[in-house]
Amino acid sequence: MTALSPAPARSRPRTGAPVPAARPPRGHGLRRHVRRYWQLWAMAAPAIAFVALFAYVPMYGLQLAFREFDFAAGLSGGDWVGLTYFRQFFDSPQFWTLIRNTVVISVSTLVAGFLAPIALALVVNQVVGRRRKKFLQTATYLPHFISIVVIVGMLQVFLSPSSGLITRVAEMLGASGGNMLGASGFVPVYVLSEVWQHCGWNSIIYLAALASVDPQLYEAARIDGAGRFTIIRHIDLPALVPTMIVLLILNMGNVLNTGFEKIFLMQNPLNLGVSEVIATYVYKIGILSNQFSYGTAIGLFNTLINFTFLVVTNQIAKRVSSTSLW
Amino acid sequence: MTRAGQHRRRALAALAAVTAGALTLTACGGGGDDGGGGGDGTVRILVLKHALTGPMSDMAWVDQIEEAAGVTIEWEEVSADWDQKKSTMLAAGDIPDLVVGTNAITNGDLATFNGLFEDLSDDLDALPNVTAMFEEVPATEAMATQPDGAIYSLPSYRRFWPETATRQFINQQWLDNLGLEQPTTWDELHEVLLAFKNEDANGNGDPNDEIPIDWSPAGDAGFGYFQPSVLLGSLGLPISDGGGAGYFVEDGVVKNFLVDERYREVVAFLHELYADGLVSQDVMTQDYSAYQSVARGDGDTARVGFTWGWAASDRVGAQLADQYAALPPLRANDSIAESDLTWSYDSYSLNYGVNSITMSAQSRNKEAALAVIDAFYDQDISIQVLWGDLDENITKLDDGSYEVLPPADETSDPSTWKWTTTLADNGPGWIRDDIDVVLPTDLAEAVEQSVPLEPAIANVDPTADIFPGALITMSQEDLSTISLNDTGIFGIAMQRWATWITEGGIENDWDAYVAELEGVGLTQNVEIHQRYYDEFVASQG
Repeated sequence: MTALSPAPARSRPRTGAPVPAARPPRGHGLRRHVRRYWQLWAMAAPAIAFVALFAYVPMYGLQLAFREFDFAAGLSGGDWVGLTYFRQFFDSPQFWTLIRNTVVISVSTLVAGFLAPIALALVVNQVVGRRRKKFLQTATYLPHFISIVVIVGMLQVFLSPSSGLITRVAEMLGASGGNMLGASGFVPVYVLSEVWQHCGWNSIIYLAALASVDPQLYEAARIDGAGRFTIIRHIDLPALVPTMIVLLILNMGNVLNTGFEKIFLMQNPLNLGVSEVIATYVYKIGILSNQFSYGTAIGLFNTLINFTFLVVTNQIAKRVSSTSLW
Repeated sequence: MTRAGQHRRRALAALAAVTAGALTLTACGGGGDDGGGGGDGTVRILVLKHALTGPMSDMAWVDQIEEAAGVTIEWEEVSADWDQKKSTMLAAGDIPDLVVGTNAITNGDLATFNGLFEDLSDDLDALPNVTAMFEEVPATEAMATQPDGAIYSLPSYRRFWPETATRQFINQQWLDNLGLEQPTTWDELHEVLLAFKNEDANGNGDPNDEIPIDWSPAGDAGFGYFQPSVLLGSLGLPISDGGGAGYFVEDGVVKNFLVDERYREVVAFLHELYADGLVSQDVMTQDYSAYQSVARGDGDTARVGFTWGWAASDRVGAQLADQYAALPPLRANDSIAESDLTWSYDSYSLNYGVNSITMSAQSRNKEAALAVIDAFYDQDISIQVLWGDLDENITKLDDGSYEVLPPADETSDPSTWKWTTTLADNGPGWIRDDIDVVLPTDLAEAVEQSVPLEPAIANVDPTADIFPGALITMSQEDLSTISLNDTGIFGIAMQRWATWITEGGIENDWDAYVAELEGVGLTQNVEIHQRYYDEFVASQG
């Protein structure tokens, strides 16, 4: 059946333009579009409904950022206060600390979390033997399924300054590197555990991209005398570039979205100076202290920064490599 | 083949459309009205329970309330993540007829969600038990009354609790093993702790497994029970609730100890202990359960020398409790007289439970809800809510005297048993001042171990030395300002507290730290507290 389906049909949804030869009289564009593509729309409908319901409809609550929340008057009934809450945030003594902590944590997670899966995929791809390869792949992606609470519990047990396994091993190796659960250890511990947990899972998509490389390329390269590293550099890496760029753009859209749950659980009085990020601050202000308007304003600010990063990265990628989301 | 394919595609598309339609339908259904209490004598109650507490249907006093009020109660039981659930629930305006649980609805919530809760001040005729409590225990009325005279929420009163939650313990057996005296000053404590560390105080052959001093982990939002903030009392600084947000009163002036020289001395002293390796290394990062289990150890060998806790058997376990002695407050140095010492005054939190029952303004069954509230404050029901059912957990000796029985489950301890079988301290109720109760052993133990602290507690005048936060209600605007500032203040203060103790440096950082705290709103917060305190003093005449 696949072989019989006509090629143009496959390209149609992508270009979105009707085939010129079959153009009927003008004025029936919409009806004709519906008649021709209704199956596709029907298939997309659940996703569209989902996004509309859970991403667009709740946006009307954003006005809370510009209004003073008044329970009696409802979500949209409070007094209009303009940018007061934004100014309050920018003038807050916490502002620069929050921004600095958020950027440090998210950028280091982004960089490490972006490069590690690529490296892992290249390594797994080089492993000879199906069973060994499968074992390695499974072993690296299993941690992805451990709940965050458990991960943080493990970190606290392993890194405890008095009885932690890792602290003890480090001591035996002669490193007396302070309290890993304190301020100095927070960012490395967070980033490394994050990479360890998600590296295997995130490498799956790269492995899929590598699997689609034409074996003829490898054979030709080997006949030409290319070594393992030359093959990786000239065949594997170029094959991964489009995937890498799309994932990078998507990740950039989350640049200020640090992992709230994990950071919140890892917080203690010792590391609060580096672990208080926008997300945890919004939780403490907005939910725990009932400052709904202020919390919404900070959240909106966060989203706008993320959105800007997403658009800018996308434009750069479009210029530089002609790969982009839109 | 092609035609068959087309058919199949069409069928798939139809299926997709149907699924999509179904999705939208369910989504709409979810938004439908499923709220509102039944009008036929059913009262819906949301109850905030301790994680240990069993189902409400197992409690016999629930039937007594239903009978007394002539209603059926539908319970919604919450024992985890209440803070998160609460915000969304209140913001959506969807609450059941009654919310039960100590401070489940805070004064901040009452102010923010103005109009959601029923003002009970005009319904007091229907609440004879509550009116009587207000007369007998005037503090309960002060706790309930808002600045504008409204009463949205009622406190509980349980009277038998000691005036402090934090008791001080030292391992007497270790002292005896090493031939040492009980310390009375900070310097003597330091010496004793050094001996605990350097020698095999517990006599198990390993000189390195002793933890000379350990305390309950401070959170990132202020101080609490069982923390070294009680050492402020060694310098005569009065605190309440283990320190809380740091406010206290001196000569009619509200101050915050976070920027007080005496706090600096305490932190410097704790750093000396930490630098000598006397404090548990996990003290800043462990959680409460780890702190508890470390001291209990394997049950045979004590691990901790000096610590703070509720009662010895709760802190170190029943098997080790006999090794520990309750210790009077320490003097910071010889210049402090014994008569100057203070201790954390916690009676407002322990003997009262603020905002323990709150009624919805939208209740469709107002009379029934009021009847339920009043039933909670009945003499017999109050005592059962606190300690468990009559006959099973309590024996009623005569009209005015009761005996709390030991746990029916022999493997349980009285405190655990209480929390397992009833709402305990989370429930509303009024324990009359004129009844006699043979207390359960856990409470009797706590009362007994408070004795060495009593002179110091008596030094704290609850209206002149501490900020009587429980008796003062603030406006929404001030509460918002305070909570916003607090997030900033404690973000800095608790991190410094932890860093200074573990790494030192308070001497150099102090002035900059004080300026920083004042800059993020401490000055403003102190001013707000001062204003309310002045009003409070004026109203007391």
